[in-house]
This record gives sequence, structure tokens and C-alpha cells, in this order.
Amino acid sequence: MPEQPVGGVDIDAVAQRLDNAWEQRQPLAPLSESLALTAEQAYAIQSRWTDLRLARGDRVIGRKIGLTSRAIQQQLGVNEPDYGSLWASRYFPLAGGRVDVPADLFVQARVEGELAFLIGRPLREPGATLHDVLAATEAIAAAIEIVDSRIADWRIKLVDTVADNASYGGFTLGPWSRVLRHVDLRTVGMLLHYNGEPAVQGIGAAALGHPARAVAWLANKLIAFGISLEPGDIVLSGSLGPAIPMRPGDLFTLEIHGQPPLSMRFV
Amino acid sequence: MELSADALALLEEIRQARAGRRTVASRGSARQVTLAEAYAIQAALGEGQPIKGYKLGLLSPAKQQQMGISEPVYGRIFSSMMLESPVRLSRFIQPRVEPELAAILCAPLAPGAAPGAAAAAVGGWFLGVDVLDSVWDGYRFSAAEVVADNSSGGGFLLGARMLDHPPDGMLRLYLNGALRAEGDLRTLGNLYERLGWLATMTGGLRAGQVIFFGSPAAATPAESGVLEVIGPGEDRLIVRLEND
Repeated sequence: MPEQPVGGVDIDAVAQRLDNAWEQRQPLAPLSESLALTAEQAYAIQSRWTDLRLARGDRVIGRKIGLTSRAIQQQLGVNEPDYGSLWASRYFPLAGGRVDVPADLFVQARVEGELAFLIGRPLREPGATLHDVLAATEAIAAAIEIVDSRIADWRIKLVDTVADNASYGGFTLGPWSRVLRHVDLRTVGMLLHYNGEPAVQGIGAAALGHPARAVAWLANKLIAFGISLEPGDIVLSGSLGPAIPMRPGDLFTLEIHGQPPLSMRFV
Repeated sequence: MELSADALALLEEIRQARAGRRTVASRGSARQVTLAEAYAIQAALGEGQPIKGYKLGLLSPAKQQQMGISEPVYGRIFSSMMLESPVRLSRFIQPRVEPELAAILCAPLAPGAAPGAAAAAVGGWFLGVDVLDSVWDGYRFSAAEVVADNSSGGGFLLGARMLDHPPDGMLRLYLNGALRAEGDLRTLGNLYERLGWLATMTGGLRAGQVIFFGSPAAATPAESGVLEVIGPGEDRLIVRLEND
């Protein structure tokens, strides 16, 4: 049966274009320039694109939250974050605190430091708070996230990045820490080194005031879509500072207070 | 439960006081209302509102004796009562603040659950603030009156850090930089026993519910400014209270 356009937009065709851009590393003109998309339609495109990835054998292993800093929200003229899916094919496991990532996988990648949550208990009830999230969290880890945009020159509006799987590129994780659950995550400091130089300073409060508040937003947003956070889900809770553009050969090292550093090299 | 004429009158009195945002005078023991009826009134007044958890009150034996009861009381915490800073005081009738300890459950707890089951059901501990809001003039009330009035439940806030075990030591409350109340957490009794009691009283607790364990310190009238609750280990909860 042919797919029905949602509200006059051919969701399936747009998802296919994004998938081609992902596969061929060829950016698209901003979707918002040619289509009058609502946020709901943009999430429908994202969801359809995830279906295409799954059909190619990929797997959803969690979610990422984007647009968590006030500065970025103001820049895009929005007052809430967005989210995307973590596709397993772009999870780069660390070995000995380091990982090499092929630079040619990306269109125009940038690198961020943040905290990842490992969900231990389902969050299925609406109205989840940051405290509910902490109580439902199994462990927390430092994470380097690669953001990437299939939209040319990152000329994104909200609907562009939502459809584009919240500009997901890939990620790596430090060791899961149960101790971090009992740290005041607002005041956790982060230093992201770029080729050996400390380049970005960040703090937990940069993600919606508290990283667990961002996860609570996600939990409630997913419930509105009939999905929920479940045990084993990984959640990237949002960057704690500005992103740094990546060039092949670059080395990024993330230090988060009390955690072993993680290094990512683009080869 | 079939409510007596006195109980129905009490229910109506509280309902109207809340709706009109005004206090009413206690009638003390002149009212023939049992504690069981008071809980039924509490349930009736909260009907249809989603329950986020429960609060405990009247923990000290001295207070209980004064009220003529032999166990604590509990109240319902509705989802709408979970607040974040800043807190607007205009939503309350006569707000008072108390420093408290709270827990969020990560597993259900059946009535009569053993202490070990209660401990296993706690997902995490937090410092908390209980903003009391009684309809009873000057917080003078009988046990039945306070229980019927949802045990003075008003608003609730939690700290930003999850504690891995219930702390031991002093809880202090500062308002605009001045120490207003402090108390020893030991006076709350055994917290797992309290949880078990609450599970029995309420017919069982659910995962995700938040429990406020009552205050070890005296309640302080709220005023606009900065409220700080400081716990053992220097944990701190900071709340702005605002007169719009």
C-alpha cells in the first residue's frame, strides 16, 4: 500500500532523501526552505528514517537530547529541546580509554562533551521529574557525542534538525558509574580538549539546569508519542558546552570531574 | 464509608475554605469525627487528582499525645503539588515551611511489607521542603481536622542531588540567611518502618511515588526571599519564595 502524505508532506520521500544524504555524505538544502513542516511532521520523518535504518540492519540503543542549552534554543527560536535515536552502527566502543573513528563517515561533524544515562527502571508515567529520572537511573557515564548535519552548512531550523534525527552523528561512552548518580550533576565540571589544548569548559547545569531534567523532558515527550524509556536504554542528555568542528586527524579528549578521561581520534 | 453528619459538615467546611482561600477556626473535640472518617474525607476531597506520593506528619510522640493519637498521620501528595523554585506564595492560604527528607520508590511496596522489602523499594533519597498549608486558623486543629485537611499538604520540593542512603545528623532551615529551625533526623524514627506503616495504611505504594517523611524541626511561617535547607554532609536545597 502506498504511503499517505501526512498533512500534504510526503514523509516517506523526505526520510528517503535524508537516508541517501547519510549514506552518501552529501548534504541537502534545508528542508524548511522548501517544505512548511510542523514539528510533528518532522518527528514523523525522523521516525520513518529510523525505520529505514532498521531495515538496513541497524538498531536503536537509546536516545539523544538536543537543543538543551538556552543559547541554542534562543538561536533557533524554540523553548524546548528535541530528541533523536541512537543508532548502534554509530556507537564507537572505547578500549583503554580511547577510540579511533573514521572521519569519512560524516558530512560536517562537530564534537561535544556530555553525560549519558543508563536507564534501569521504566519511565512510563507522564509527569516524570528529574528526581524520578535519578531514581530510575542505573548508572551515569561521561560521553563524547559526534553531532552531524545532513543539512548544508548547518543552516538548520527546528524542523530540519528534528527530521534529521536531532543531528545525530555518533558517540562513545566512558565507564558506567553508579557513584555519579549520587553527585550533584548540576555542578559537575567538564573540560573538552582539542588536539591537546583545553578548548571547551562546561558544567552540568548547562543542560536545562540539570542533566536529569533533560532526561525527564525526554521521558515525558516520548510518552506523548506512545513510547517510553525502558531498562537498558542509553540517553545522551545534552551538550554541556559548545561543539567543536572536527577535521580528519583531530584528537578530542573529554574530562569530566571524577571520571577517567576519554579520547576520540578521527582517522 | 458512610460519613456521619458531623463528618459531612467537616468535609464541606474544608472544601469551601479551600475554594475561598480563607482559614477557618478549629472546633476541636466538639466535632464527632473519627480518624477513619477523617481519612475518608481526605480521600473524597482529593478525588480525581493524580497521586504522586504521600507525606507523613505528627511524628513525635509529644505531638501525638497532644493530639490524642498514638501514630503518625499521612496526607496525599498530588502531582500538582510538586514544585520547583521559584515558588509563588500566593497559591497558598497560610504557608509554613519545613525541612524534610524524602524518598522516591523504584519498586512497589505491598501492605505489611517487611523492612527489607521497604529498603529495597527505595530508589533514592533527597533533601526536601514541605510547604504546609492548613485551612485551620493558626494551625490549631484536632487530629481529625488536620487529617481531613490532607495533613496540611501544600507544596513539595526536592533537592538536586540523590543521596545513596538516608543521612544521619541535623537538618537546618534558613530563611533569608537566618537560622529559623533545626532538628535531628533521628527523631523521624526508623524510615523503613515508616514506609511499611504507610504502605499498610494506604493499601500499598507504587514505584515512582515520592514519600516525605515529616520534619524533625518546627514549621516556620513562609516569607518571600531565599529558603535554604541544609542537611548533613553540607547538602543544600535552595528555593526562592516569591510574593508575585
